[in-house]
Amino acid sequence: MNELYLGQYAFALYALIILAGGVLAVAAANLVRAMIGLVVALFGVAGLYLLLLAEFVALMQILIYVGAVTVLIFFAIMLTRAADGAEAEGPGGAGVLRAIPVFLVPAGILVPFLAVYGTTGFPTPKNIGPEQLGAGLLGPYTLAFELISVVLLAAMAGAVLLAFEKRRAG
Amino acid sequence: MNNPLLLYQVVAVLLLCLGLYALVARRTLIGMLIGVELMLNGAGLSIVAAAQLTPMDAVLGQLGALLVMGLAAAEATLVLAIVLVVTKRFGDAAADGPSELKG
Repeated sequence: MNELYLGQYAFALYALIILAGGVLAVAAANLVRAMIGLVVALFGVAGLYLLLLAEFVALMQILIYVGAVTVLIFFAIMLTRAADGAEAEGPGGAGVLRAIPVFLVPAGILVPFLAVYGTTGFPTPKNIGPEQLGAGLLGPYTLAFELISVVLLAAMAGAVLLAFEKRRAG
Repeated sequence: MNNPLLLYQVVAVLLLCLGLYALVARRTLIGMLIGVELMLNGAGLSIVAAAQLTPMDAVLGQLGALLVMGLAAAEATLVLAIVLVVTKRFGDAAADGPSELKG
């Protein structure tokens, strides 16, 4: 009973961190500040993964998202800021007006749907070790594993090709 | 609250909505990419919560979240290359330059 209360407090804390980081990522006028907000939200999601006893996924969240994807986006910001500070504008006036219904419609549809028809889960999650994940990757889910590696290879090759194309044309 | 799965799903929907908002409201391609990353995180959180808290195969759920992360990494590299090309061709990374049609 006591641990359940502790888990609820931890969940509230992580949800608050995700909310604060997400709002900063969405609303900040400066793109670097938006990136900081995204990093905070990603760490909050990693905390929720830990709370769900999916510690390998939490580790990969920090390693891949916070370590790799964020650095990529920082590179993109740095490479485009050289052009006379054109990145500085935040969300625009008409864009915000268009974005508010986009925000509200999925929330208004999905949350009541979940509240009415959502399934109830166990109060405590199951723990799955990395060795079981590895057995799954080499056993029943081999095709997905191979496909994601092909997709990653194609994306990297395409990115390199695009960047070189630019160099030759310019 | 005695339905923890609902709370996790609500947080995931919140991330989806924030990402959609950023996708529409931002003017630069990088701001839109940040929105897409938020949405993908909501998807991963929803998958893992559904797999861990119901009788579903938990290995499948965690591997699904890992695949979503791999797709996000691939998508981020491609968007980085596209941003480089757009910056080279239009001068900055604003989204309204490439969206104009040229006759």
